[in-house]
Amino acid sequence: MPKKALITGITGQDGSYLAELLLRQGYEVHGLIRRASTFNTGRLNAIYADPHRSDVRLRLHYGDLSDASGLARLVGQVQPDEVYNLAAQSHVRVSFDSAEYTTDIVATGTVRLLEAIREVGLCPRFYQASSSEMFGQAREIPQRETTPFHPRSPYACAKVFAYWITVNYREAYGLHASNGILFNHESPRRGETFVTRKITRAVAHIRAGLQDKLYLGNLDAARDWGYAPEYVEAMWRMLQQDQPDDYVIATGETHTVREFLELAFGHAGLEWQKHVELDPRYHRPAEVDHLVGDASKARQQLGWEARTRFADLVKLMVEADLQLLQAQREGRLLPSL
Amino acid sequence: MPRALITGITGQDGSYLAEALLADGFEVHGLVRPHRDLASSAIAHLVNDPALHGQRLFLHRADLAEPATLRRALLATQPDELYHLAGPSHVGLSFELPESTCHGVAFGALRWLEMLRDLPRPPRFFQATSAEIFGRPALAPQDEQTPSVPVTPYGCAMAFARHLVGVYRASYGLFACCGILYNHESPRRGESFVTRKICRAAAAIRQGHQQELWLGDLDAARDWGHARDYVQAMRLMLRHDQPADYVLATGQLHTVRDVLEVAFGVVGLDWRRYVKSDPGLLRPAEPARLVGNTAKARQDLGWSPTTSFEDLIREMTEAEVRASTDSRPSAS
Repeated sequence: MPKKALITGITGQDGSYLAELLLRQGYEVHGLIRRASTFNTGRLNAIYADPHRSDVRLRLHYGDLSDASGLARLVGQVQPDEVYNLAAQSHVRVSFDSAEYTTDIVATGTVRLLEAIREVGLCPRFYQASSSEMFGQAREIPQRETTPFHPRSPYACAKVFAYWITVNYREAYGLHASNGILFNHESPRRGETFVTRKITRAVAHIRAGLQDKLYLGNLDAARDWGYAPEYVEAMWRMLQQDQPDDYVIATGETHTVREFLELAFGHAGLEWQKHVELDPRYHRPAEVDHLVGDASKARQQLGWEARTRFADLVKLMVEADLQLLQAQREGRLLPSL
Repeated sequence: MPRALITGITGQDGSYLAEALLADGFEVHGLVRPHRDLASSAIAHLVNDPALHGQRLFLHRADLAEPATLRRALLATQPDELYHLAGPSHVGLSFELPESTCHGVAFGALRWLEMLRDLPRPPRFFQATSAEIFGRPALAPQDEQTPSVPVTPYGCAMAFARHLVGVYRASYGLFACCGILYNHESPRRGESFVTRKICRAAAAIRQGHQQELWLGDLDAARDWGHARDYVQAMRLMLRHDQPADYVLATGQLHTVRDVLEVAFGVVGLDWRRYVKSDPGLLRPAEPARLVGNTAKARQDLGWSPTTSFEDLIREMTEAEVRASTDSRPSAS
């Protein structure tokens, strides 16, 4: 019998990379997807097969983190060995405008999933996607597993709650539950409203003469940016440990939005200063400080290390957006990024 | 006349706070859930006073789960001060009801903060949080800088509410404060809480209505103060120059055993003959050494608690003896 994994947020950047990894490892993968009137499964095209075939190992189920009884039913049906909770309203700036929705999915949604697991009487291993945003106005640099949290956005507040409730279920009920405190991780599959992807997409459009200006918020915001496919491997490794624990996953390097602009525009032979305009609407009401992670614990205990460096990350994202645009203009469909 | 709006006015803290604000000369508005019976609530004496009710004390039916009722009450009353005390308050129960605990505590706070953010002149806002946010602290006593390490769903939800207040204060300049309240008791404490349970049992055993008392961990130690003292700090916080969070505590630790000694002592009984320990009443993950440092409240607000532990438990036990005597027509 293959191991079974349940992934919430499977249609997102991390979920799709994780699904690919688990399928390669021989897992049967079940994903929770929200019912919408349009398909939002583009990132799964490469691995999705017709469910009528008997040998498919990827199955998608309609459900929602806001629906507790649906979650309990699904967990009971699938009987997963591993559960990865990646679903979220993951945009920090948007969480200031939709604070209640963000809180409901990120915080209460995690409790609903943990309760569904407890209710069904299973003891799967549980991964909670925690975030470096929890450190916010950080009390030390770099941030590690013991750094106190000081969240600066509704999103971060909700993630801190989800972090602690996960620890609570581990301690109170002996659940093998782990938090990955992931610093920013990007890829060609990053959502188009996140600053990295917004920039690389704009580079492709500007070079093709389809766009002239790019509007951004704070160019001095500094982040620790890694490559998403490597980060999902850390998630999987956490659940293969004998003991559950919490880990910082990061590159240990920090770069500003300005540096990202230099490299991304430079790679396409463009000058960012000619195209970038500032729009205060993209500023967060409260910005986080110097976020940079110390992933020593993950290196020692999981044997995990970030391999793709900043310059390579920017380059591969620009390349992917140049190719994607080219394919779209030629009327070709790219099967997946 | 300045106006205050209180959620949770029918509870222990809300009722003492309403009394304090009425004494300050405020017009007091309270939110009450649609089906709440006022006659059995902690404000029955205020509601039954015709000089207050409908004159300077007004109650509005509302429900935290229905934002429109909150918005309506806020716009109708236009308060200068808003005290948000309502919400789930039982730590042990939060293991059974984690989702509604999260919802009731964090969403309650968030809905108010969202509404205040949109007002041209928002009231000053007080959010009640709890020492449960410290969970298993590395250091004792705890102060406002101590990191949160909650170990109960209730503690997680309270830490969440505190973080949200911090975000809205920093992002939108709201005058919003959290009280980090250590255990605070009184004769108006709910009956499922251990202090009230013990004082009530001492009175009932003395009068022969009860034979034994089942409790969890007798060595569990808490920092117990009088609720009447703590609501004084809430009002001082909202009248200070700067909004900030404050630890409200006594700084003294006492065990459940200490409560038993005083309460049974008041009625002249030896508790050891009546008390049984039940492991089923232990919490799955028990916080340790929660004791507060109130230096900041003392310095900024000039606040310190005035009721001793012994006086608190004595007052609670005597109230139970009186209540139990009054309710028995045949008693002398």
